[in-house]
Amino acid sequence: MSVWVTGAGTSHFGKQPTTSPAELAWEAIGEAMADGGSAADTQPIDAVYVGSVFGEPGVAMRALQGYALTGVPILTIENACASGTSALHEAAVAIESGRYERVLVLGVEHMSALFKGPIIPQQTDTEGRTGLAMPSLYAMEASRWLHEGRVTTEQMAAVSVKNHLHAMHNSRAQYRGDYTIEQVLASPMISDPLTLLQCSPISDGAAAVVLSATRTSSRDVELLSSAQRAGGAWDHRSPDVWGYQLIRDTARAAFEAAGLSPGDVDLAEVHDAFTIGELTTTEALELVGEGEAGRCAHSGDTALGGRLPVNPSGGLLSRGHPLGATGVAQVVEIVWQLRGEAGARQVERARVGLVETMGGGVAGVDGNACVVALLRSNDSKGL
Amino acid sequence: MSDPRPQVDAHEGVFLVGVRCNSCDHPMATPRPMCAACGGEVVEARFGPEGTVYSSTVVRIAVGNRTPPYSLAYVDLDAGPRILAHLAGPRDEVAPVASRVTLVESADGDPIVEVLR
Repeated sequence: MSVWVTGAGTSHFGKQPTTSPAELAWEAIGEAMADGGSAADTQPIDAVYVGSVFGEPGVAMRALQGYALTGVPILTIENACASGTSALHEAAVAIESGRYERVLVLGVEHMSALFKGPIIPQQTDTEGRTGLAMPSLYAMEASRWLHEGRVTTEQMAAVSVKNHLHAMHNSRAQYRGDYTIEQVLASPMISDPLTLLQCSPISDGAAAVVLSATRTSSRDVELLSSAQRAGGAWDHRSPDVWGYQLIRDTARAAFEAAGLSPGDVDLAEVHDAFTIGELTTTEALELVGEGEAGRCAHSGDTALGGRLPVNPSGGLLSRGHPLGATGVAQVVEIVWQLRGEAGARQVERARVGLVETMGGGVAGVDGNACVVALLRSNDSKGL
Repeated sequence: MSDPRPQVDAHEGVFLVGVRCNSCDHPMATPRPMCAACGGEVVEARFGPEGTVYSSTVVRIAVGNRTPPYSLAYVDLDAGPRILAHLAGPRDEVAPVASRVTLVESADGDPIVEVLR
């Protein structure tokens, strides 16, 4: 059974303190619902899957009732930063199993009202209570890879340069800029060795896609596969930095289900909440060889125009990172790219796109959740 | 609510008080109903005081009510679990990865290590 993305939309991304979560959701839902072909417009939505981390309670129904989406099953999923794509995965499984014909997936998060500084880690968590901030979770990865000689600080900074430059072509991005590696490294230190320009911001935003069991127009994009996993134990026995094994295992499951290999991927939207995250992730996804990620970011291989563009939207670093919305926004970007509708940031000959989202960081596990999804453009019959 | 951080006993020597699996010997830093590796029965066990730094950072932003900067390290205790610990000494000094450290008495519930020179 095929699953088709028939509509996609997002809100603006950024700090939007005067806009409610429902209003953010309405921007995304409105664009996604108006995006499908005329055949799609007449079909009912059978269920809604929503990704949101900080809520608030009832955020889904409060938003959906404003769009007359009432009286159908509505489920809200919290899986940290992978909440939106976890919602996507569950919606896709529901369609594949024949439970529903047409499902709306929504990601929504309003953070600027909750946090004046960084996200405050959960005080019931062993490491959160000990003071491990989210940037520090990733700083620990960077620390280890620097020690192992697998990356340099300049290569990490190159990810920030690249993604901020990509966002110059994304009017909905929270930040954009033409920085140098030196400027990135000279920005204020947040958690050694990660500087401010290597950290994703606090953001408000929403994104939505409509999934359908049937193709409704030539613009539809096929969701070939999605895989969702929670991390195993991460401790002194783990051979890799936090999250690496979970991402690799989830990716292998997604590739196997799609009948594809990493070499088939033309572009990717991956979890660059912090620069080092994009590098560990592109290696764990096996999109680049082991030890190659830093060099690929620095040389332009993963930039627009390069061999394998990663985060053409600007990524979490520049588009922004409203946690529950992020995964769905990544899917929307890939849909736009595979349709050839991405404007000045269009990736040439984009036929297969990958989405990866990683949620953390409960102490003791290799990630709360990871989702990898593979999408294919409608006209790529040659594959 | 109970404190989720690992407990350190400094009465006679300094040790981390965690649990160990009766079946597979897997060491864990905090109490739990069963072994994280095999699901076996766990019993209280003492670890440390020495270990090796796996990775480290200095947090330079105000997180909650903590005052920055402060230095953190993941430490693999010898024959024990990996723990997140604060570093004794200058608050803005990064613990070198692979350096040898030893547990010292906790302050405000945080596990603390100092670098062995």
